[in-house]
Amino acid sequence: MTAPLVMPDSSNAPRDGRSARCHRVSAESAKRGPLVTVLLPTYNRRRCLAEALVSVLRQTYRDLEIFVVRDGGEEVSDIVRSFPDPRVVFIDRKDNRGKPFSLNEALARARGKYVAYLDDDDVYYPGHVRALVDALEGPTDCRAAYSDLYKTSCEAAPGQDRRVLSKHVEISRDFDRFLMLHFNHVLHVSLMHRRDLLDRTGLYNEQLNILIDWDITRRLSFFSDFHHVPAVTGEFYSPVGESDRISCRQRKDSQEYLRNLLAIRTTRPPKPWPKMKDLSIILLVDRPDERTVNVMLRIWRYTFYPYKLLIPLSAADIGRLNVQMPNVEFVPVNSLSSPAERVDAVLRRCEGDYVAIVAGNAAVEEMWVERPLYTLMHSTAREGFLLEGATPQSWAAVLRRTDLDQARRAHVHLPVEASLAAADIRVRRPKEEELPFQFDDLLLQAKLAEADGDWIAAARLFERMGERFGNQLWMKEMAARAYFEAGDHPRAGRLSGQVNLERPTVDTLLLEAKVCRRQQDFSTAIRLLTQAEQMLGPHVYSPAHPERNCCSI
Amino acid sequence: MTTARTNDADRQTHAQHYEVLRELGDCYTSVGNYDQAQRCYEKAASLGPDEPGPYVGLGVAAMQKDKLDDAEIAFRVACRLDPRCAKAHAGLAMIAQQRRDFPLAFDLYLKSLELDTDSIAALLGMFQVSCEMGSFAKIIYYLEVYLRMHPGDTSVMFALAALYLKDGQPDQSKTVLLDLLALEPTHRDAANLLEEVRHTLAGTA
Repeated sequence: MTAPLVMPDSSNAPRDGRSARCHRVSAESAKRGPLVTVLLPTYNRRRCLAEALVSVLRQTYRDLEIFVVRDGGEEVSDIVRSFPDPRVVFIDRKDNRGKPFSLNEALARARGKYVAYLDDDDVYYPGHVRALVDALEGPTDCRAAYSDLYKTSCEAAPGQDRRVLSKHVEISRDFDRFLMLHFNHVLHVSLMHRRDLLDRTGLYNEQLNILIDWDITRRLSFFSDFHHVPAVTGEFYSPVGESDRISCRQRKDSQEYLRNLLAIRTTRPPKPWPKMKDLSIILLVDRPDERTVNVMLRIWRYTFYPYKLLIPLSAADIGRLNVQMPNVEFVPVNSLSSPAERVDAVLRRCEGDYVAIVAGNAAVEEMWVERPLYTLMHSTAREGFLLEGATPQSWAAVLRRTDLDQARRAHVHLPVEASLAAADIRVRRPKEEELPFQFDDLLLQAKLAEADGDWIAAARLFERMGERFGNQLWMKEMAARAYFEAGDHPRAGRLSGQVNLERPTVDTLLLEAKVCRRQQDFSTAIRLLTQAEQMLGPHVYSPAHPERNCCSI
Repeated sequence: MTTARTNDADRQTHAQHYEVLRELGDCYTSVGNYDQAQRCYEKAASLGPDEPGPYVGLGVAAMQKDKLDDAEIAFRVACRLDPRCAKAHAGLAMIAQQRRDFPLAFDLYLKSLELDTDSIAALLGMFQVSCEMGSFAKIIYYLEVYLRMHPGDTSVMFALAALYLKDGQPDQSKTVLLDLLALEPTHRDAANLLEEVRHTLAGTA
């Protein structure tokens, strides 16, 4: 066996420097499958690191290079060295530079076709890498894939084993690009993506200290769809009581949270974006004043769809307006030009696939532009949509740029609204059923029905949602639980049984077993519960019993 | 719009492992595998140290293995954790019954029934103890209350009919047995008892 490759403190090493010492490729890797780089940064979690590392080394997929990056904190070289596997590369850095820095540091040296991630207190199941490689190497144009993970609640006293209290699949949502811009539904530990995608997205943002994973999945979604593998392939830990996660602590600082959130939302990776349409927001103001600044800041704060704000102003007004915010471009125009002429001036240099035209007194709040934009994105008609709060005096709408361009070219002397009408482009308000996040709204309704004890209504909603919006395993599980509570045990058993055939989890096995028990089918109930108990079983690194941790890799 | 972020944000995270083990213990008890049941209940008790359920299960398993002292300890722990645990009181009553301390068993069954008027085990245990003691008034009252709440329960109907007869009330016994046989015409024991009631009534006529 060869000792793990140990990198010296490399915080000052050039990022693109690929040390010859890092180049260890298994002679068989080309035959067996693409190389997968696993990044495992660690900081002050000595007691968990071995278990995490063991879980990577136990992967049935063998063509791995594994970067363990010590991001300062406790000494861990003894732990890493205790695993004499040539696939392990150890970057032993004494100073704490943060997780994004650590990931970038390893990525600079990575050679894998794919990149996967593991936190130092989480574990992969043995088939994790194989499942994701198979998904990405199969017939798909997705260059990113993710699976489901258990959120494992556990309690542990110092020096004791972690005791598992529960394992729930907390997030199992099919990929939804619009949702991804608003909320990260892909757990970082479950993610694998092509490494070359990072050439397009850019590396991890080292200015961030929370939501780091969302930042990268959001940027990846500009360039690829994500393949959802509906299998539980690992666990992330959630200690009972106060979490020791750095990100959890920093989320409590609301200012810091907002700083990170806005930095992520305003990140625009370099174009072209094969999977994302761009939005240009044209802000029309006569004379910029305090109200203009306020609207600009509100656009910054509340817009989650990627945008560029374009403001046509006279050169003198541009000089007067002093706002420091990203993604703003001032377009010089004659101070006497009409609103239509200002729009035309912007259109000549705007890149957006969609254009929102907004007055200087626009009401900007959560989802202000995303609601009509989503409706427009899903419309096949030649039409545009009014923004919320738009009035005849303060007209505001979102349109396809091609439609707007065509209308303006054909009717250049008309005001914008009239030119659209003349070009037969209807501008209307979105209907309720056309708005985004229908799934989430229905989910909320179902949860409210559950809270009211109307389990049948909740179950039917879950079933309908599964048929209409996907996320079928999740919805079947929810429906099964609701039917059980409603006393419809046969249906609960049937649905949970269907889920268990495809993706058994502790929750669904427990539910099906409860149904079997009530039907006096004890042998099946025992089989299901035994399976559930095994899933809950010790997946722990035992500091109290280190001999148990010696694995046959 | 509230984005639903998780599948189980409102779910108890602590209960799951405990629940799996308790359910498994109950299943093993149902099929008579008391060693496995005991193993599951012990693990469940360590995960839910404030829950009486696993101790009730341990008590039942110990009773089935004729370890009455162990069973008593387990039921007492369950009672201490939850003084309103009807099953724990019923368990203690069964132990008293096995030790032929019928007055104590009767009181404990009574306590159990007060805490859970649906407890068929307590009701039938009380019936057996009443028969042993030869005093039927109280148990007849409880069986009547129970049947008002569960009018089709033929096992309780049969017990009540037998008690009426022992208590010298053959008319009431006959009425209950006729109702029972209307519900379950093939109930052989009921048919036999009805025959006996008819003889008694003929003898007194």
